[in-house]
Amino acid sequence: MVSEVNPAAVDIDQLRDNVKSKYSDVATNPEEGFHFHTGRPLAAMLFYTAEDLEGLPESAIESFAGTGNPFSQGRLNPGESVVDVGSGAGFDSLQAARQVGPSGSIIGVDMTQAMLDKASAGAQAMGLTNTEFRLGYAEALPVDDASADVVISNGVINLTPDKMTPLKEIFRVLKPGGRIQIGDIIVHVEVPQSAKDDIDLWSG
Amino acid sequence: MLEAEWEWVLSQAGFEDLRLGEQIDVFSGSKHESSAANFDTMGLTIYGRKPG
Repeated sequence: MVSEVNPAAVDIDQLRDNVKSKYSDVATNPEEGFHFHTGRPLAAMLFYTAEDLEGLPESAIESFAGTGNPFSQGRLNPGESVVDVGSGAGFDSLQAARQVGPSGSIIGVDMTQAMLDKASAGAQAMGLTNTEFRLGYAEALPVDDASADVVISNGVINLTPDKMTPLKEIFRVLKPGGRIQIGDIIVHVEVPQSAKDDIDLWSG
Repeated sequence: MLEAEWEWVLSQAGFEDLRLGEQIDVFSGSKHESSAANFDTMGLTIYGRKPG
């Protein structure tokens, strides 16, 4: 029985800088090769279908670096308001925009400017007028209280040292009855606190 | 986090109707494979609902 989950004792600013650097590389040099899978091969592993990817800009697909398929927990409904925490190059946001349609809305939040630039360009290329991308952190979402029907996220919470803070932020921005559908990672062998506190292990 | 840790933090954050989805070995064949394997790390999806 778990009674608490201790935050990792890492310097959050240094961690953010490391993660920004890594994901800026994923945005600008997606063909470089990383310690995790990216792009179309990863999307196929996570059971995104050809139909899901059809019409998405290649720029959004090539920099995809998620760990799950949030839409496997249910498709989004027309008209819903969606927040994508750690929206990256827009891979999930742009799919979400299609699912909710023009009467819905998408706010993508990411801390890496290079990813925001790609995501915004992708939305423009698709002619989406219901999708915007904002600079921000998962721990302090630039989103109004109780404004979202759904929060999606993909491979982001595991990159925060204190998981409770972003989850409480997600809870804050959700409307009553709203839901989270996120992809992330799970371990089956306990990670020692010493490893959690080793910043070099966080972003490869 | 372990499954029990996910369930704990999600519950503490206020979510209910928790559902952990299918787990997928997303690190197999990547450069991260060996360190991920040390902790039997898998990708997964999570569903939860804010009461109301």
